Amino acid sequence: MFPTPLEKTSRSWQISYQVLLPIALIIWLLPLIAVANFSIKPESDFVNGNYWGLPGSFEALNNYGKVFFESNMPRYLWNSLWITIPTVIGAVALSCMAGFALGIYKFKSNLPIFFMFIAGNFVPFQILMVPVRDMTVSLNLYDTNLGLVLFHIAFQTGFCTLFMRNFIRALPFPLIEAARVEGISEWRIFLYVVLPLMKPALAALSVLIFTFIWNDYFWAVVLTQGPDAQPVTAGITEFNSQFRAAYHLMSAGSIVAALPPVLMFFLMQKHFIAGLTLGAVK
Amino acid sequence: MHSTLKTSFAALVAAGVTATAGFADGHASLSGELNIISDMSNPAPRAVMEGLAADFDAMHPDLTVNLTIVDREAWKTQIRNALSANPPDVVNWYAANRMRPYVDAGLFMDISDVWEEEAFDALASTKGAMTLDGAQWGVPYTYYQWGVYYRKDIFDQFGLEEPTNWEEELANCQTLLDNGIKCYTIGTKFLWTAGGWFDYINSRTNGYDFHMELARGEVPWTDDRVRQTFANWRQLIDMGAFIDDHQTYSWQEALPFMVNGEAAAYLMGNFAVAAMRDGGLGDDQLDFYQFPVINPDVDYAEDAPTDTFHIASGATNVDAAKEFLRYVTSAEVQTAINAGDALGQLPVNANSSIDDDKFLEQGFDMLSNNAGGGIMQFFDRDFDAEMASVGMEGLQEFMVFPDNLDDILERLEETRQRIYN
Repeated sequence: MFPTPLEKTSRSWQISYQVLLPIALIIWLLPLIAVANFSIKPESDFVNGNYWGLPGSFEALNNYGKVFFESNMPRYLWNSLWITIPTVIGAVALSCMAGFALGIYKFKSNLPIFFMFIAGNFVPFQILMVPVRDMTVSLNLYDTNLGLVLFHIAFQTGFCTLFMRNFIRALPFPLIEAARVEGISEWRIFLYVVLPLMKPALAALSVLIFTFIWNDYFWAVVLTQGPDAQPVTAGITEFNSQFRAAYHLMSAGSIVAALPPVLMFFLMQKHFIAGLTLGAVK
Repeated sequence: MHSTLKTSFAALVAAGVTATAGFADGHASLSGELNIISDMSNPAPRAVMEGLAADFDAMHPDLTVNLTIVDREAWKTQIRNALSANPPDVVNWYAANRMRPYVDAGLFMDISDVWEEEAFDALASTKGAMTLDGAQWGVPYTYYQWGVYYRKDIFDQFGLEEPTNWEEELANCQTLLDNGIKCYTIGTKFLWTAGGWFDYINSRTNGYDFHMELARGEVPWTDDRVRQTFANWRQLIDMGAFIDDHQTYSWQEALPFMVNGEAAAYLMGNFAVAAMRDGGLGDDQLDFYQFPVINPDVDYAEDAPTDTFHIASGATNVDAAKEFLRYVTSAEVQTAINAGDALGQLPVNANSSIDDDKFLEQGFDMLSNNAGGGIMQFFDRDFDAEMASVGMEGLQEFMVFPDNLDDILERLEETRQRIYN
């Protein structure tokens, strides 16, 4: 089932592996390399057809300068933060509480409610596009950060609750019983006993939701428009003017937009991987 | 108390302005609010629109101009909603058939009375494009010419002249091909570029009136005259006049062929000039000619997509809205907003002046004096939206597989019957 460790294979296989690996890696990363290369090219390179060669002139400062100082990108990044962070806080907070209730208490509709949370995950979100848009318009939340935040919280809570409930289930129940014997009220048990134990789950889930929401494009396009509320994923298209697409600026903008989740990933790598597998096994 | 003071002060200032600057025609009497929704969201047009609103506001002290700028693409889906629920006074849109849904739904105001004013004679070139059902529904503020942009240095190298008729055109093309240079670059990945070729060959073959009848769905696609258009087009395709694999390029991605000298010309809108200059072509290498005559019996018709202002039928301040339309169509304003440092396009008002740019000059002259047939708005604006999208797919397919013509025409004809009947 597991591949044979490399050290145990023949010498010729080891060599061909070491040769093939970088080649596969470069092919794999080619689109990213192209975007990085495009982002330091002058506009004239695109008119001349110099797509893959060295930049005609080195325009990194110029391009990134334009992205930061002559476009709405800072505003879009700011919007992204204002959409992502409240969503992470809201979804994680709600799902902690829901997970606690579903994981600790035994009541009749426990399982049905839990299944409803899970079932929400199986709804293909595209079919919600029209009703959600209509609802947002009628609530006067269309084209606002709040509208996007509320929807994201509602939609992410399903997955988060599944995650949290299973994590809390795995905690040793005697801890809670012991606290009850001491006569501690339920909400203090949640706050002082369960919550501290959930730190790894909180960290993992926050990182995961942060990248989910930051990278969301679909709902950003459906529920917002213009620099007042749109996050950076949707705002990138601003570099398309009426007639021409500014590939160099779009590339620079994409790199800037991709940095926060990448940074998040590297800084919180451990939690991220834990997040993907936590709750997968009980 | 405070507000009364303020208004009376404003009135005083207005009176002063009227007296000194000689505004004697009641401009200052406009009052209330004027709500404008504009789709001029790209940086340069945005600055133009904000300038227009601010200047108009300053000219009319009692009037408050509220400007909302909406993303140009988003506006295409929002306009209906905006016009029906809580309508503004003035909106941006496009000329010709693109007005049709809003005219039919009664959402645009009939402003034929404004067009009857003497000052509007200077806008005659686009009057047809602003007319539906015998009435005018808006005013133009800018347009740009289409035509053939070519490498003058390559033409000179092989002793070629700008062609004026189809025979010269084909002869030029043959010379270029014999020397290993494609006659035309084009990128049909996003389809619309092929629409430009159809507009020109069809209107040069059958005339403006026939082209518009086809656009309105009054002529079947299987008509022999349409086939003649495709037969003319096919002459170029069979020669190999267009670059290979053009269906994989966007219009921008087709530019390198011309900049690098692998193709000699590009049928395109004037916006291509800025890109070609960025690519390093100087004005000594680049020139422009009007699409040549095919059928000498029909007059020149030109593609010149026109952007417009309209009054919503639910407008609350109609007087101010009409005055705003008079303002944006005046020769001075059109000169200013179309200048190279603003929109960089052509003013529609024939009394306007234009920047010292050889392409703008040629285009302005061509559209003002040499487009007797009429002004087309481009394939995807003149034809019904759904017809245009099916149609442009057909045109692209024809350019790649000209033998499929019968299939394509039948498909387009089916679509026409479904849409227009």
